[in-house]
Parts: sequence; structure tokens; C-alpha cells
Amino acid sequence: MASSDVRDVLNLPDGAAGGPRPSKKQKISAPRPNLKGLAREVHNLGGDNPIAIVPEVTQFKKRRFASRKPVARWELRPFQNSGRTDASLTLRHWRRVEEGKQPSSTVGGGEGQAGEDDVPGSKGEEEIEDSSYAKYNVQVSVPQYSDDQYHQVLENPDWTKEETDYLMGLVRDFDIRWPLIWDRYEWSPPATNGEADADGDESKAIVPATRSRSMEDLKARYYEVASRMMAVQKPVQYMTQPEFALHELMAHFNPQQEKLRKDFALNSFGRSREEAREEESLLLEIKRILARSDRFNEERRELYNRLDYPHAEQDINTFKSSTGLQTLLQNLMTADKSKKRKSIMGGEAPTTSGQPTPQQAAPETARRDSAAASTGPRDSAPAAAPAPGNKKAQQQQQQQQQQQQQAQQAQQQQSQPQERKKLTEQEEIIYGVTHHERLGSGPTFRTEKINKLFSHKSNQQQLRITNTLNELDVPAKLAMPTAATTHAFEQLLASVNSLLDARKVTDKIDAEIKLELAKKAEREKAAGLQEEAEKAEDADGDAKDDTAAADEPSKEEDNQGTTEGADPADEEKGDGEDAVPSDEAAAQPSVEQDDDDNDNAADNGKDEELESAAPKRSASVLSNTSDKAAKRQKK
Amino acid sequence: MAPSNQFGKRVKLTQIRRPFVIGSTALPFSDSNPRPPGTPDNHTHSWQVFVRGMEDTDITYWLRRVQFKLHESIPNYVRMVEGEPGKPFVVNETGWGEFDITVKLYYVNDSGEKPQTLYHYLRLHPYGRTEEEKLAMVATNGEVRAWSYEEQLFNEPYEAFYQILTTGAVPKGWKPAAGGKGGKGKGKNRAPPPLPAPDSGDVWERTAMIPSANRPGQPFSRETEAAEVKKLSDAQLKTDQMAKQLLAELKKKEEQLAKLKAENAAAVKPS
Repeated sequence: MASSDVRDVLNLPDGAAGGPRPSKKQKISAPRPNLKGLAREVHNLGGDNPIAIVPEVTQFKKRRFASRKPVARWELRPFQNSGRTDASLTLRHWRRVEEGKQPSSTVGGGEGQAGEDDVPGSKGEEEIEDSSYAKYNVQVSVPQYSDDQYHQVLENPDWTKEETDYLMGLVRDFDIRWPLIWDRYEWSPPATNGEADADGDESKAIVPATRSRSMEDLKARYYEVASRMMAVQKPVQYMTQPEFALHELMAHFNPQQEKLRKDFALNSFGRSREEAREEESLLLEIKRILARSDRFNEERRELYNRLDYPHAEQDINTFKSSTGLQTLLQNLMTADKSKKRKSIMGGEAPTTSGQPTPQQAAPETARRDSAAASTGPRDSAPAAAPAPGNKKAQQQQQQQQQQQQQAQQAQQQQSQPQERKKLTEQEEIIYGVTHHERLGSGPTFRTEKINKLFSHKSNQQQLRITNTLNELDVPAKLAMPTAATTHAFEQLLASVNSLLDARKVTDKIDAEIKLELAKKAEREKAAGLQEEAEKAEDADGDAKDDTAAADEPSKEEDNQGTTEGADPADEEKGDGEDAVPSDEAAAQPSVEQDDDDNDNAADNGKDEELESAAPKRSASVLSNTSDKAAKRQKK
Repeated sequence: MAPSNQFGKRVKLTQIRRPFVIGSTALPFSDSNPRPPGTPDNHTHSWQVFVRGMEDTDITYWLRRVQFKLHESIPNYVRMVEGEPGKPFVVNETGWGEFDITVKLYYVNDSGEKPQTLYHYLRLHPYGRTEEEKLAMVATNGEVRAWSYEEQLFNEPYEAFYQILTTGAVPKGWKPAAGGKGGKGKGKNRAPPPLPAPDSGDVWERTAMIPSANRPGQPFSRETEAAEVKKLSDAQLKTDQMAKQLLAELKKKEEQLAKLKAENAAAVKPS
């Protein structure tokens, strides 16, 4: 801060430093544009930036004669008003004289007085202008009717023709301004001269009591007349749309409703502040009550739903017979069983945590839980509410919530099947809907079931089954795998399996028989070394005993010598008994070779036995027998 | 418990079936079946493999698309066929050899089910165990048809899918409205006709119905089914008889065995 400033502030006369200051001032003021009309201080407010205020140039005194036009001329001109009934009345008023035409005659003195029959004389040939206000004289079109028409359509017990005429006149006069009409309505019915005196004294005349007509009455009568006249002039079916709308409106005027409306408006205008407030609060109250009753109804309905018996999903006709009831009972039993298991599983959690069982806890807490009773009978378990001060209170609450959720889910599950459309039996057949005891979810194919039946068996078994099926001339693949054919095929496979099992057992027994026979033969051979002839006899006898079906002649031949002789007979037998002759044929040579190796005449009888058993073997025994043969060879 | 998802819950213990035909038709090249231009010389047949509804009804309301996996030597051998309402899923090809075709069925999105696989063996030459069967395979125009009936089983379908499968049965070719195209849309302005009797021979759209009698080109019907059931039950009867006979023999043999054993045992003891 310079010392000069301090001096300036302190209002001290500056001493030696007088030089720089005036120069400074000059600098600032130099670039300023000199705006007029603004104080310098205001200018300075803007600093370096010039103030962007365009000063308004005010001119208080205009020049008196801006245009040098000649003075406008006025003339007094007469006019008529076509809206008036008295067409002869002509008034005058001042008007500017148009540029083009000069007033034909000098207007006298500028008197504005209305003079009758004064002006036409002076400028009669000129047409008299019409008043610009004439167009506002609009006449209301009031329905007109003749006497005949009145008698035909407009008769009304309440209204006489005279009064109606009077009303129409008023309506016309006051341009259908109903308040005015009503205000001026003073109909005094003419006195009916019952017995008029000769001198026309009307004192004795009966004067009907004047009836005070309300505005609604007047309106109703007027609209009645108007609408009927409309219909008379133009039948309803020929009316245009707006005409018809108007007709409808007038024909359906309801004076009572109108009256009520006005009364209501009047009342609501007339009520005091307190009344208004009270009304408002009452409205609120009503709203609240309605809402509450709605909720109450809802809850009640819910409760009823809960208490209601479950609706049957299926036709109950099937359960009306005793057998039907039996099946129903069984179904219920199975359902009950599964449910029980579930409930046990669900109930494990509380017992492990060592809490009182719900049944025990229920009595003491039932009161407290009465509020929660609306959740229904399903929630009897959650009645195990927390005992005060119990550590596990929270746990229990959680469990309660869980159980409630479960109950809700169960309800949803229950409700969903109801939502689903029930199908009739016919629909079920058409749409291919079936119900099963057990079902894995997901899409499958009908053939899969049969394929599974096969694939669950071992390769060897599959082969055997297909062989058997071939024997039966049944293809392993169904031509048309429907439910019925699949079922039949399953049954067939079951019997084929049992057949195969039987064959297996037979084979086993065959093998055992062979073994026993072999044992016997060994024994007899050991004994027969001493007495050959005897043994032969014995063997023959044994054979006879053992094989009941064996035929004597072939055996005899065998005994006499050749084993080949026995073969054809055996083979025939085999054909008869078994459908696998090739297997049999394959089996025989090996056995015979075996016999040849032993090369014992005494063995003939035994061989015969073996061979008679052989036909009953099937392929599976082949290995068995060959084993046997090998064993015997070793011996 | 099955997780509840966008499809809703599964409809428990309920099965819905939809019959369809999967198969192939092969025709050797000849004058009447000229080989298309660009076919390799060694190709001998034109063939097609298809999946379609009974009597060519629409199945696209449950089957979205089908993947046919042909032999790897065929160019572009995985063929995906998207369903067009009212049309069967078909692949047309030419070739010279038979092979197994893997057919993968993709169900509509509303079903929420995973795709399933079927196999079909392409037949170009008649086959069968007997000459009769071989002859039966060849149609009058020399086509070799290897068609098989199959039933799609939807076990415990989701609720939404259940709705789809159990509504909208209309007769074949029935149009919901005059201007409507395709038989798929459900009629809004025209109520569908009442359902037919279940044993009537008609086949309606969106049902599991099967015709009652065979017609040329439609070999699968209740007639065929009944014949097959009869054949199977006959075979079963025969098998049961055989088993009975066998059991009788078995009994006899058991007696014999017991006797032999006793004899042997008796013989061993003294010695």
C-alpha cells in the first residue's frame, strides 16, 4: 500500500508526492467511452469492463405534429338499427369521413341530438348504414305450434295452453335464460267466468289459485314441448346425429334429479367449516371400515378354505363300489406310509437338539400362539413357541419359521394341482396321459424298457434268449412298441427265462445222472473183471430199471455188438425230445469216441445209458460232458 | 425335492406318451429315380431318414429339433434339422452303404428336458429272416422302407409342458380361423370341436392317438398292435407249454438221479 493511499484515507493533504496521482487518474478515465445518462460512479462499478447497459433514451416531449397530414374530417351520419322493431327510427352519430368521398353536404353545426325524420331529407338518396350492433340482436328460435298440434301432442294436465304460450313468450323474451324467466314468471290464470253478470262483473269469477312453478317445472315443460315439436317436424329416424342427441337430451330431462342436484349444491355451499371437517373425517372413517371389512372377509375366506375338505381331483365314481373302496384304502395306506417316513425324517432335528416334543410344549404355549392359529391346522407343530428365558428360544423360532415355510410350500403344492386342469378319462386317453405307481422323471422311449431287459443279462444269456425267441419265431425287436405290446413282450421274456432256467436245471441233473452212472460203471467194471458174463447181465438189468423210457430192442442190439446200430435210434429220440438236434449230434461223436477208447465190450450197456441221457442236453452242457470225457480219459 | 424352477413342478407319477415314426426310405437309382447331378459314381441309392408324427401330424409342439449323425464319410455328417410346424424332420442323401444313424431328439424349451438319443440302422437292401419278410419290406415302387414305430414317454413332465401336451387337440387340417395359417395355433375365435371317442380311428393333432387300421404308407395302427400282442401271447403260451413239459421231465430225472445215488451209495458201503 502506497503512502499516498494512507494519506488519502486519513484525508491528509499530500505533501511531496503529488506527481503520480493525477497521471493515474488520467489513465483510467481516458479509455472510458462516455456514456450519457449514467452516473460516473455507476460506470466505475464495472471496472475495466464497460457496462453493457444500453441507456434508454427518454424523450419526454414529442413533437406535437409528427405527421403533417391534413386534419381528419368527421361527419355526422345517420344510421338505423335493423335489430329494432321500429325500423323508422333513424339516429345519427359522428363518423370519420373516408378519404375517397367528400361529404356531399355540409353537416350543420355538429349537433349530436337525435332528430326524428330530420336527416333523411338531407341525404335521402344515400343508403342509411346499419348499426354495427344490429348483429347482436339474435332471436332465439322457440318452438312454434299451432292449436291442432297442441291438442295432438302437447296436452298436459298440469299446463293449460295459455300458460304454455305464456311460458314460450317468456322464453323467447329472455333468450332461455332460465333464472330470468323464473324470476319474471307471473302467470295469473284468467278468471273463468262461471256466471258472468250482464255488466261483466268479474267479482264472482272463479280465479284458480296461482301455482308457483319451480325453475325445474318450467324447464321440464319447455323441453317437453321442444322435443315433441322436434319429433313432429322431423321423425326421429330421419334426424341427423346432433339433432337426435339434442332430442334425446330434451326428452329425458329429469326435473327431480335436477332438483336434487341443486339442493345438494346448495347444501354443500351452505355448510359451515365444522360441518365440512366432520364430513371429511366421516368419509375417512368409512374408508377405513371398508378396508378392514375387506381384510376380514379375506381372512375368513382363507379360513374357510383351510377348514374345507379337500376337493376330489378325480372322479369319485370309481370309489363307489366296494372294490373301488378297497383300492382307495390301499392307496391311502401307502400314501400314509410314505408320509410317515417323511414326518419321521423331518422330526429328527428337534429330537437331536433335545427339545421338548411339540406335543408336550403345545398346551403351555397354545394361548400365546392363538394369534398364529390362522396359519391353520398344519401348523400344530410350530406351537412349540419359545418359553420365556429359554436359551433355545431363537433356535425354536427359526425352526418354527422353517416349519411354516414348509407348510406354505406344502400348501402351494396342494393348490397347484387344483389349478391344473383336470382331465377327463377320454382326454387322458387321447392325450396319452397315464398314471403309474413309480416313475423316474425325464423323457424316455418305449423301446428302452425292452432294451433294458436284454442289457441287464449277460451276453451268454442274451444269446440264449434270442435263440429261444428265434425258435418261437418272434423277432427280438417289436414292430410296434406300445404299452400293450411291451407288456406282452415282458411276459413272454419272463416265461422264456423260466424255460431257460428249467433247461439249466435239467442239464445239471443230466450231468449228475451221468456222473452217477459213470461211478456205477466203474464199480461194475471193477467187479466185472472176474465175472464178465454176469456183469453184462447186471448192466442190462440196471439199464432196464433206470431208464423207464428206454426201448428194449435197441438195447438188445447194442448188447449183441455194434454201437453204431444204437445211434440212429438215439438220434430219433433226440429229435423228438429236443429242438436242438445239431447240438446233440455234435455231442454224440465225442461220447462214442470216448467209448471206443475204453474199448470194453462190457461198457456197451453203460454207453447206452449215457446216450439215452444225452439227447436232453443242450449246448451249455456240451462243455460239461466234454470235461467228463476228458476226466474219464485220464482215468 | 426337485428344485422349483421356471418350469414349475413336475407332475408326479404321470406319464404322457407321444407316438412317432422314425425310419428311412431308400430307393435305388434307376430310370424313374435318376441320379442327381454331382453324385459320386459309386453311389447306388437315394435315401432319406426321418422323424415324423403318426399320419404326418405335427410334432414340433414337443420336438424342437433333431440331430441326425450320419456316417463320418459323408460330408457334413452331423445334420441338425430345426422343426417347422407341420413338417417332419427329414434328411435326404445318396449313398451306397448301410450304417447306424444316431438320432438325437431336442425337446421344446418349455419341456425343460434334456435331449435323448435313438439309433436307426439305415437299410438300403431288403432284410429279414425269411424271403417273405424281405419281400414285404420292398414297396411297390421299389423303395426299401425301414420304418419303426416309437413312443416318446414324458415321465413326470413339468407343469407348463404338461399343459402343452394336454391341450389343443384338433382334427387334422383344422384351422383355428379362416385366415390362420398352420394347424398349430390354438383357435381363439373358433372353439375347437369336441374331442372324439378314444377308440375312433381318427388321428388328431397334438394327441397320442393311433389309427385303428392300416393304410398304404401307414403301417402302424391298432391293427398291427393287436396282431403283435396276439403273436407274443401265442409265443408265450408255447413257451409255457415247453417249460411245463420240461419240468415234468425234470421231475422224472430227479427221481432217477435219486435212485442212482441211493444205489451207488448202497454199493459203496458194503465194499
